[in-house]
Amino acid sequence: MADIPVGTPLAAPLPRQRTLLVGTVFGTAATLMYFAGLLGVYLRERSDALSGGGEWIPSGANIQLAPPTVAAWTMLMSVVTMQWAVYSIARDDRAHAIMATALTTLFGLSVVVTTSFQYTEMGLVADESIAAVLIYTISASHLVMIAVGLVFLLLMAFRALAGQYSSRQTDGFVAASIYWYAVVFVYVVIWTAIFVLK
Amino acid sequence: MTLTETRPEAEAVAAGDDSRPATQSSAPQWTPPTGLARFLSTGDHMTIGQMYVVFSLVLAGLALTLGMLMGIEQADIDGGFGVFSNANEVFQVFGLYRTTLILCGLVPLFLGLATALVPRQLDASSMAFPRAAAAAFWTWLVGAITHIVATFAYGGLGSVQAGAAREQSVELTVLSLGLISLGLLVGSGVVFTTLVTQRPSGMDLLQMPAFSWSMLVATGVWLFSLPVLLANLIISWVDMRGADALAFGGGGAPFDQVAWAFDAPQVFAWTIPLLGITAEVFTSAHRSSPKMFEPMAFIVGAFGFFSFGAWAQSFFDSADPTATDAHVVTSEVLFTAFALAIALMVVAYGGWLAFNAYSAGQRPQITPQFALVTVSGALLTAAAVTGVLRVAEPALGVLREADGDIWRGFFDAMDDLETSSLVNGLMNFAVLAGLLAAVAGLFHWAPKMLGRSLNAPLGFLAVLPLAGGAILIGATDVLSGFFDQPDRPFETGSIGDIDALGFVEALNVIGLIGYVAVLGGLALVALNVARSLATAPTAEAESEGAT
Repeated sequence: MADIPVGTPLAAPLPRQRTLLVGTVFGTAATLMYFAGLLGVYLRERSDALSGGGEWIPSGANIQLAPPTVAAWTMLMSVVTMQWAVYSIARDDRAHAIMATALTTLFGLSVVVTTSFQYTEMGLVADESIAAVLIYTISASHLVMIAVGLVFLLLMAFRALAGQYSSRQTDGFVAASIYWYAVVFVYVVIWTAIFVLK
Repeated sequence: MTLTETRPEAEAVAAGDDSRPATQSSAPQWTPPTGLARFLSTGDHMTIGQMYVVFSLVLAGLALTLGMLMGIEQADIDGGFGVFSNANEVFQVFGLYRTTLILCGLVPLFLGLATALVPRQLDASSMAFPRAAAAAFWTWLVGAITHIVATFAYGGLGSVQAGAAREQSVELTVLSLGLISLGLLVGSGVVFTTLVTQRPSGMDLLQMPAFSWSMLVATGVWLFSLPVLLANLIISWVDMRGADALAFGGGGAPFDQVAWAFDAPQVFAWTIPLLGITAEVFTSAHRSSPKMFEPMAFIVGAFGFFSFGAWAQSFFDSADPTATDAHVVTSEVLFTAFALAIALMVVAYGGWLAFNAYSAGQRPQITPQFALVTVSGALLTAAAVTGVLRVAEPALGVLREADGDIWRGFFDAMDDLETSSLVNGLMNFAVLAGLLAAVAGLFHWAPKMLGRSLNAPLGFLAVLPLAGGAILIGATDVLSGFFDQPDRPFETGSIGDIDALGFVEALNVIGLIGYVAVLGGLALVALNVARSLATAPTAEAESEGAT
């Protein structure tokens, strides 16, 4: 090995341990498996019901496609604002990062409102059909997932307000964005499997 | 900031820093909590690991006591109910034995060893998320205690008593099992994140000790399994909330939905760390380090892959299994392939151990932990062979389709194995293999975990009942399966199908002796730990401790 001349700058420090990122990826993967389990049961039961010649959604229920479609588009828009937040914090633009996070939070809240509205309209009684049990279980689980995502986003926004995140340290925002993209992905799958296929 | 960091005040005092304002010097100094408060508030990985080990060993003992009670009940199959008063009580204990042995005993025992040892093996100061590690432990413990209390309060995972009113304690049992799953999932996440992020620079994943590698694989597989278990439980619980449970919360459905977690191939997933402990103890006994680590790492990874069993949910089998388009998961090609692959991985792992023994070029040092991992390996092999026997009929079904007369007797004998006690034997073999390996790990790493070595003669004394009892439990279940003893003792309608009832009852008595022996062995291990803790820690013990 050649001698290192005096005055040579030291090698760059090794990359940071991305503990929060890895932990979030683990948690997100677990959440996705949870929904995979739920949706697997839903699709299996639906298939059994339809192949037996029966109906899946009870005839008295009125599951409209419009509210969940609006919610799906809202979720997709939140992907843009979430990525805007990550982009901004990576460029030390804290003001835009916080504004984008606030917008993402608003989009998330509006999906909660849309889902609640649909609950009141669809006339699906929880203990009258297997479909109702599963639809409420899956959609309510997703509401919980959104709530966790909102708390995560608000925590990152408050930390950014306190000056914690910058272009040198974006882990919190990136971790929150990974979780949020999973929230959106799950909703798109729910929209397709439950509301489009019915 | 983590809980394990030194507080600034303490650092300043230690450094003799007198530059702080005078007002601060008179402020009360923080002192670490002692007594119960220390355990309740700790984020120290070693303390959390020790608490996991203590409580999971106690709960494993409780599970084995339940197994013993089942054994007493099964000693007189056609004489009505003895220990229990009706089929529903048998069902409750049958379910509780499984949940307690695996999710309150085996898995947390491995998690405890990992929580205590992984930071040491990685030369890290703490776990990745110390508070989450503590939260996971307490969530699991509260869930486990609630689960047991709820089951004994006439709960359980459903009811097989026709027309019985649904008890609220059944809902509590289901919820508490969800809490257990959640605690184990968070604990797994902490261990996984620690393994990925807390390694010292320059140490890649394949340079980790074998136990750490096996925990990485195990927590990865548990990551994919536990959320599905949680999903099953949530569906059951939501269904129960209505006036009438429809499909998932009524009768014995809650147990049937989660039964996959206590059956092959998933039951092998709970035992993955066994492979890492065996590798470390085995090579240490040969006074060498693991050679050909990469093939071993591949075998452990493949074993983990083929042990993932959340897809094999018999609850969703077709109602009519004789229909031409019937879906019966245990007859599927994938189920058969996974069983064969598991057996292949066990053989490959045995080959790797043999290669290491040959390479060491010397006889192993016989220690209690070496004896335990040897028996544990034999039990795992027995579980894998039992798994192959179970799928023999569907695996060779092509022969029957070609010519129905070929091996007619063989196929007829194999036909009923799927619903026989052979399935219980498979589970018992695998879980007890894991339990013995975990106890071996406790012996192996006692200097690190307890600051003291465990007594070797007392250890050998524990090996005999542990090994003998575990073999008796598994072997009698498998043997009686060939005489058509049903896998579910609460289904009394199947008693008439048992061949040679007297012989099967005799086997059940031998199995009962096995439960007593394993319980006795665990008591000796507890005595050994207590005896070691009563002595002062030695510096030699720490330096002798395996890494």
